[in-house]
Amino acid sequence: MAKVQVLNVAVLDNPSPFGNPFQFEITFECMEDLPEDLEWKIIYVGSAESEEYDQVLDSVLVGPVPAGRHMFVFQADAPNTGLIPESDAVGVTVVLITCTYRGQEFIRIGYYVNNEYTDPELRENPPLKPDYSQLQRNILASNPRVTRFHINWEGLADKMEDSENVDPSPNISGMFPPSCIPGKMPHLGVMPDNSMDCISTSAM
Amino acid sequence: MLCKPIFSVDIHPDGTKFATGGQGEDSGKVMIWNMAPVLREEDEKNENIPKMLCQMDNHLACVNCVRWSNNGLYLASGGDDKLVMVWRRAAFIGPSTVFGSSSKLANVEQWRCVTILRNHTGDVMDVAWSPHDVWLASCSVDNTIVIWNARKFPEMVTTLRGHTGLVKGLTWDPVGKYIASQADDHSLKVWRTVDWQMEANITKPFSECGGTTHVLRLSWSPDGQYLVSAHAMNNSGPTAQIVERDGWKTNMDFVGHRKAVTVVKFNPKIFKKKQKNGSSPKPSCPYCCCAVGSKDRSLSVWLTSLKRPLVVIHDLFDKSIMDISWTLTGLGMLVCSMDGTVAYLDFSLDELGDPLNEEEKNSIHQNIYGKSLAITSTEAQLSTTIIENPEVLKYQQERQNSAQANSGPGGAAPESSAPKLNSVMNGESLEDIRKNLLKKQVETRTADGRRRITPLCIAQLDTGDFSPALFNSVPILPSGSSMSSQLTPQLSSDSSPGQASSMGLKPTHDPMLTSPPPNNTANVKSSLLLTSASKIEPMKALDSRFTERSKATPGVTAAISSTAGLTPRPKDGVTAQKEAKTKEETSSDSEDKMAAINKNLTFGKRKPELLLDGGEVVEKRKKGRPRKDKMAASMAQPFNSNSIQVSMEPSVFLEVENEVSMVAGSKLSQLRCSRDGRDWNTLLPSSVVVAAGSSDILAVACEDRMLSVFSSCGRRLLPAIQLGTPASALHCSAHYVMVLTAGATLSVHWTVQREVVLLQTLIADKSDSLVQCADFRSCLPSHDTPASSGPLAVMQGRNLNAGRLASRLSSTPHHMQQSMTLAFLENQLASALTLQSAQEYRYWLLIYARFLVNEGSEYRLRELCKELLGPVHKSAATSWEPTTLGLRKRELLREVLPVIGENLRFQRLFTEYQDQLELLRNK
Repeated sequence: MAKVQVLNVAVLDNPSPFGNPFQFEITFECMEDLPEDLEWKIIYVGSAESEEYDQVLDSVLVGPVPAGRHMFVFQADAPNTGLIPESDAVGVTVVLITCTYRGQEFIRIGYYVNNEYTDPELRENPPLKPDYSQLQRNILASNPRVTRFHINWEGLADKMEDSENVDPSPNISGMFPPSCIPGKMPHLGVMPDNSMDCISTSAM
Repeated sequence: MLCKPIFSVDIHPDGTKFATGGQGEDSGKVMIWNMAPVLREEDEKNENIPKMLCQMDNHLACVNCVRWSNNGLYLASGGDDKLVMVWRRAAFIGPSTVFGSSSKLANVEQWRCVTILRNHTGDVMDVAWSPHDVWLASCSVDNTIVIWNARKFPEMVTTLRGHTGLVKGLTWDPVGKYIASQADDHSLKVWRTVDWQMEANITKPFSECGGTTHVLRLSWSPDGQYLVSAHAMNNSGPTAQIVERDGWKTNMDFVGHRKAVTVVKFNPKIFKKKQKNGSSPKPSCPYCCCAVGSKDRSLSVWLTSLKRPLVVIHDLFDKSIMDISWTLTGLGMLVCSMDGTVAYLDFSLDELGDPLNEEEKNSIHQNIYGKSLAITSTEAQLSTTIIENPEVLKYQQERQNSAQANSGPGGAAPESSAPKLNSVMNGESLEDIRKNLLKKQVETRTADGRRRITPLCIAQLDTGDFSPALFNSVPILPSGSSMSSQLTPQLSSDSSPGQASSMGLKPTHDPMLTSPPPNNTANVKSSLLLTSASKIEPMKALDSRFTERSKATPGVTAAISSTAGLTPRPKDGVTAQKEAKTKEETSSDSEDKMAAINKNLTFGKRKPELLLDGGEVVEKRKKGRPRKDKMAASMAQPFNSNSIQVSMEPSVFLEVENEVSMVAGSKLSQLRCSRDGRDWNTLLPSSVVVAAGSSDILAVACEDRMLSVFSSCGRRLLPAIQLGTPASALHCSAHYVMVLTAGATLSVHWTVQREVVLLQTLIADKSDSLVQCADFRSCLPSHDTPASSGPLAVMQGRNLNAGRLASRLSSTPHHMQQSMTLAFLENQLASALTLQSAQEYRYWLLIYARFLVNEGSEYRLRELCKELLGPVHKSAATSWEPTTLGLRKRELLREVLPVIGENLRFQRLFTEYQDQLELLRNK
């Protein structure tokens, strides 16, 4: 079973000018202490037509992750406008947040992003060459699309067999660093109204 | 769910809920259901009463077995994913709707996995908790049985090897001496728990069996006399083989099923014949009741006193029966089947007979085995207890009223009744933290220049049911309490099929669901999106991007993902080393240190006669030991665990286990004492170096130079006494404690009656006595900031940040929390006494009494009452003081009694002391 469950992603600073950094506040829960870091990535889809224009805005390691509920803010710079096809600058695209453990992706959270001119004048007559300084980015935060994948949390399968007689999962009820202060999780504002109708079966 | 097979069912010991395990959509599934809608039709129709309480999809493959621990705190599940998971209810964790999920069906109760037990290399087929929840056993198609230490998950005790086929069933001997297993290798094996070796290997009745059943759930009778197997063959007919404990003889079997027996389950009660009105009360032999389920889709119920089955129900299901679970009352039964349904059957006392109460059951165990199992006083049993005292009735009613006010209908105590914890961390609310999270979170660069964020831990798993539940004066009320009254004579001796109420369980999606508030902002935003209609089309193209796992995206990504797996992990090496080290320590430690202890103990023995001859010696310090004896006064070393017999008559055993748990940086040691079969235990904040006891008292000295003195029932008599130098030897005799310290100081304390006198001479200064309180501060329940103010509160108050620390404890097992709380309360009490703070003493006394009442610690409670009451008849010999700190002890008792009256279990105790108080008042 998945050792890490994403409980919530809050989109901060939204809507915002196109050049502002992306900020996602991610809350996740971990079943047991993870010996390795999680790797999170923000991927900006430059063009719907091709993956070629995907940009990894940033990737961070998150750790150490003891058992418990954690949160962090993942901030990444806005996409490099030079890599976006001019025809796709304005309109709807997608931003993806992925998380991998031991190099295996186990969750993918996607949001629609709408880039529009705020000035009605520009909206009517968009310039040929996109003016990024006038663009506003709006992430459809209420509608995350979450896909989960089964991965091998223990590393390699043969390794499992070898460890047959070894105490697995060290220190489940173990100690936590002093910075980990328990508390109650309040309702994080409005829970996103999710729709997952077309999501693959592995989502549950 | 309806058509997915259900492989296992188990009713919670309190009778309010049950768990099922089976196949889910693309995973295994464990579900917890409310029992009330099953028992009562009006509850079933009431939409406000939830039917399903929680579902867990965490098993990757089919769940073969679910079992509640005997104390009801844990649920263990085993499945085809080779894992055993242990679940525990978490009260203070937020909503558990799955992020991004379309399913809006929220869980009413939050159960989360606290441990995953990994060892089996094949499907786990059965799991079983030992009596008293000391061990958890699991068996698997890998031909092994694994015994887990249920007090220190995921520690393994042993692996039982010997089966040469898939092991498909387990059962513990109710007395705890054996565990039996049945496998496809045509054998049933009995293993001893003392050395985990095979006691018996029974093969004959199984030689003709083929491995055709999914499970082989065998069962041991509650009196321990019989073990009944699942599928066996007799004259090529399927049977359930009866194996006698005496010599493991196989002379009898249950015959009649047309196909293999998959499951046998004994009723937890022992019965005796119902006394008919008018007939002479003949002492009849007690008997057991057993249900047998088979692949032939029928169920039979047998009494060991009858030669024929009590009832047979054919065609109860469309497919094979997979599991059976009795209620603790012995009158109800859930049966589950491959066809995806669960049936509930109930019986009347007329049909089964009169169940023996726990005392009678224990006396049977006592007679047969010379030891009693004494799983007494489970709440369920209390429901049938008759209230004998009008005063008790009054308190009971008061309690029930408040219970009703607290809990909703249907017996499922809703989350809302539990007090909410404030989400305050270091005085900051979570909202505050979120505002500044970006600035506050720690971000570093790894050696290869990558960003690394240390996430902020906002909650530990299972920030548990710890403190508020403990002091909640409303224990769980078994909903089965009204069962006996509503029993209908459903099954005549010749019962026809279909009378049992069969009920298909399917998750109902509508009840108790509050749809999320209309999300206006979302609407606005989506309409905004739709304005750019020209761009709708790419969205379809984009959709695929949500679900496809990233292929190695060009450029940066490729580089990153390849390094991800290869980041150097120096940490691993370190942990491995560390582990090796600890192992070494544990093995070498025990022997030589125990030797040291023994030496010290024998040395101490010579002293007391000499000193006691001195007559009225209250305290004596002696510097007279010559220098050369320094060796004898060497400092005792802590050991890891040790057991000593401290007294022969009555026989008292003292067992010490150091470093049982690490909590908030302090190592806890456990002191266990068994005395005439009564056990108690307590926790100390430091390693125990020496321990001693007499028939009246027990004393232990710790590494931190604290001397603690306990009564024979485990009540702390004095606040911890700080010794000037580490203790070297310790001895107890009657009410005397003698300590020899490394500084060659010998002191004798006469405890119990004249504590105050002593303490003032012995305790170096008042704050010393609080050192230990400081360590136990972590045990203070969160909502429990002292309502009284006094010197104790003042001294502790500043550092009392209890809620935070208390929740840190929640990761420790329940029994540990219980001991810690008890130890803490006794400390508070003793400290208040030393500080002569009457008001606080009274305050802590009442809390202490309430805790004892809730946790069912009768011996300590009785000792407390006895001390408060004092001698009923005046005699010159006693030195009992009628007052303590100016409070009249008997007045205190009068305050304590109503608390005692709230728990039915103690009604005799209540009556006893109330009568004596009355008697005294009339004098």
